[in-house]
Amino acid sequence: MKLLIRSFGLMAIFCCSIQAQQDSIQKLDEVVLKKTIFKDSSYTKTYSILSDSLIERNQASLTNLLNFNSTIYFKENGAGMVSSPSFRGTTASQTAVLWNGININSQTTGQTDFNTVVTRGFDQIIIQPGGGGVDVGSNAIGGTIALENRIEYNTGLQNQFLLTGGSFNTYGLNYDGQYSNQSSFLGIQLSHNASDNDYPFLESDRINENGQYQNSNLGLNAGFKLSSYDELRVYFNVFDGKRHFSLPTPNALPTKYYDFNTRSLVEWISDKDGLQNNIKAAYLTENYEFYPNIERDVFSFGEVRSFILKHSTLYEVSSSISLIGRLNYIRNDGTGSDIESETRNLGSAVVGLKHQLSDDVIYEVNLRQELNQDFENPFLYSFGIQASLSDFYAIKANTSKSFRIPTFNDLYWQGLGNSELLPELSYQGELSHVFTWSKQRIQLTTYYNQVENLLNWVPDISGIWRPQNTDEVEIYGLEVLTHLEKQWGDHEITFDQTYAYTVSENKATGNQLIYVPYHKVTAALSYNLRRFSAFYQQLYNGQVFTTTDNAQEQILGDFSVANIGLEYDLGKTQNYEVGVQLLNLWNVAYQSVQNRPMPGRNINAYVNLTF
Amino acid sequence: MKNFNLIIVAALSILFCSCSNEDPTLQNDTPVPEGDFTDGFFVLNEGGFTYNNASVSFVNDQGEVFNNIFSSTNNRNLGDVAQSMSFYDELALVVLNYSNTIEVVNRYTFESVASIEDQILNPRYASIVGDKAYITNWGDPTDIEDDYVAILDLNTFTIQEKIEVVEGPEKIVEADGKLYVAHKGGWGYGHEISVIDLSTNTVQSKIEVSDVPDGMLHSEGYLYVLSSGKASWTGEVTKGGMFKINTSNLQIEEEFDFPDGDHPKFLVEYDNSLHYILGRDIFRVEPSNFNLPNSPFISTADQDISVLYGFNIHKDTVYVADAKDYVSNGEVHLYNTSGEHLTKYGVRLIPNGFYFN
Repeated sequence: MKLLIRSFGLMAIFCCSIQAQQDSIQKLDEVVLKKTIFKDSSYTKTYSILSDSLIERNQASLTNLLNFNSTIYFKENGAGMVSSPSFRGTTASQTAVLWNGININSQTTGQTDFNTVVTRGFDQIIIQPGGGGVDVGSNAIGGTIALENRIEYNTGLQNQFLLTGGSFNTYGLNYDGQYSNQSSFLGIQLSHNASDNDYPFLESDRINENGQYQNSNLGLNAGFKLSSYDELRVYFNVFDGKRHFSLPTPNALPTKYYDFNTRSLVEWISDKDGLQNNIKAAYLTENYEFYPNIERDVFSFGEVRSFILKHSTLYEVSSSISLIGRLNYIRNDGTGSDIESETRNLGSAVVGLKHQLSDDVIYEVNLRQELNQDFENPFLYSFGIQASLSDFYAIKANTSKSFRIPTFNDLYWQGLGNSELLPELSYQGELSHVFTWSKQRIQLTTYYNQVENLLNWVPDISGIWRPQNTDEVEIYGLEVLTHLEKQWGDHEITFDQTYAYTVSENKATGNQLIYVPYHKVTAALSYNLRRFSAFYQQLYNGQVFTTTDNAQEQILGDFSVANIGLEYDLGKTQNYEVGVQLLNLWNVAYQSVQNRPMPGRNINAYVNLTF
Repeated sequence: MKNFNLIIVAALSILFCSCSNEDPTLQNDTPVPEGDFTDGFFVLNEGGFTYNNASVSFVNDQGEVFNNIFSSTNNRNLGDVAQSMSFYDELALVVLNYSNTIEVVNRYTFESVASIEDQILNPRYASIVGDKAYITNWGDPTDIEDDYVAILDLNTFTIQEKIEVVEGPEKIVEADGKLYVAHKGGWGYGHEISVIDLSTNTVQSKIEVSDVPDGMLHSEGYLYVLSSGKASWTGEVTKGGMFKINTSNLQIEEEFDFPDGDHPKFLVEYDNSLHYILGRDIFRVEPSNFNLPNSPFISTADQDISVLYGFNIHKDTVYVADAKDYVSNGEVHLYNTSGEHLTKYGVRLIPNGFYFN
């Protein structure tokens, strides 16, 4: 092992992640006519796109991908275990995750467990920081992660096998195939990932006991052109995950956790005579089972079935003005061992305007009214403007109001749920400076976010927890994103970096929220020479508080971890890539949740066949 | 290519930060005090569930607080969810519920003597009789038929025997050759006191009390039991009650109910009186006048305690623990027996008990 590491060091070639920072400014002229118009606020807020080649180079879980390529802090209960985000200083349920435009946050917890989302098979993943309530609905307070499958025509037959294997008996088997002709598309993605995950804890004589996991994911996508102006798309995804939960202390009783989620979506798109229509009908099921003792068939569970209907209409009044109208309906049926069986209906209506004032200036206004039976109906808005002030400099400004509805657990937990809860509300503003020249780009954003009615489970004098709207949180921060690339001859170097400074204060106490670092940095350098490529990526997380009184002795220290990878393409006419990666290259002991050590240096190799 | 190497070195020097080499999970702060822990009191901080940060604080008579005395002395963490502490000769036993471990230390130095890690599951409380510790265990929390009292030999530190009992054994008290086990309930809710004959180590009989017996103590021929009753959130609310049981014939001699909605907790004897907690108030019952008291003996209302999580009375001082929101360091409040607030001390996460050498 040592020799290998030294040889890596000698090669001294680091490199690569391909984080495309899409700039809508440069595409402004064409974009007005494009279907991306359905993404509201896409002009007046910044976002990042992670491409499929970047997705493949990172580990299979969404946690790993975003940890090394975004400003989001992840609270991971050990590798592969439950993982929740803190995006722009917000809580775990204040990040929305969209699957092909449908919110897939759990209705029982409000969160997405980022280790139950397999990134393999997605064509791109979009990171949009900041309030997205008007566009996305509930949960989009810190930001939104959109997982997307692309449907393209006339691409013929494509097959891809990605086989990975590494330390701790970790392996992944992935197939991604698609076929399309002029009018039909069919795609299939299969992924199976498993690990014994019994890594040794650094600076300790313990190992990660009972941490084994396996998951399988199946995706199916199809598209049919019905006519020259309309199209039908079908998406399906099923995730089956089985995890043992690693032991916090050596003699703890081993537990396990099963997830089973299905997502089905039918989408109709039409674009005719300046009128665009998009209708989505989705059916989602989510199910978890928690086994307090792996030896016994006794478990608690939660199950929610959701039906979602969305209709969007865009009308081009002129080449520079578009009007948008949308109606959303969601029905959730939940049941579980601890929650009462309940059904809830949520509706909302949106109207919006986009106006291109000149070649250099565009603004957009969107208004959304929630319509539901259970609690106060917030009125949401977003307003944004983008101005290109020179060839290389543009500013974007955006203000919005977003919300998060209480979860089934909050409302209907037997005996403790609180039906009087109000939605969390968030008022935000942000200003971005975007500098672009040739393929280089630097983006600087400052933002302010005030969250009211924060939902917490609070103990009473006898120690009984009940959910309440308690705190007010004031969040502000700075983000710097950089993308640089340079080509000479056959050589290509790219550099991507993110930095976030985040202050997230409970207004009553003045204390920083727990598990929100003041500083986070990611950086990735990649190098490409003909068939050879290499990358080096680094992650720095500043210290975090783990107690609400910000107790010094409970602080989780800062850490800096790095990965390195080499890849060579053996194929003559087709791609037969082989690659090897060293993860946690410097063998740093770290943890992102108290008492949950992460793995030390480990190795991962892969073969990627495309034909 | 030389330039490129330079770039890499520069990039590396910026990016690579060295991190400390301490065990990142070790809970360690203040140094251990001089002396033998006799001039003050211990606070048991149970710590956050799964965070492995249970601890013991010691506050001396000068008001100095020494936290994490176990990890400071032994250079390792105490464990996960410290439930209770018991004493035997020179030893102190700390029962760690989620770690399924009993840590045995010298009570005057806090140096580790033994760790009992096998054959106990979900341990709760211990009662010392002779050179044996009788430890209540819930067993597998999902199995309501595997609960037991483990007998720990304090010479060999091995579990000798297990006495099967009904679900949810909690407090355990010895009196006149018998062990009394209060079944507060673990997965469900209990309403019994098991009576174990120490000569045969078998359950000899059971005494029915009202739901959720939380406090129990023995004094002058009587066993006193305080039941909390089931709270409204359980879906089937029941009344709390107090019981005076004659240990010579195991009959309930006197009892009274609490009003609907009152769910008292704890039971402490001091100055020949019984003390319990209801909300933020401490109430007192005289064994000779076994009736529901009208007004509190002491109120903690002025201290604005968030979660009243620990309670004891020792040498004319009343000790009350505030667990805050469970996610921050707790506090302990001291009162005199006239109800005057004397002082408060900051301790560690989730203080749940007070112990004295």
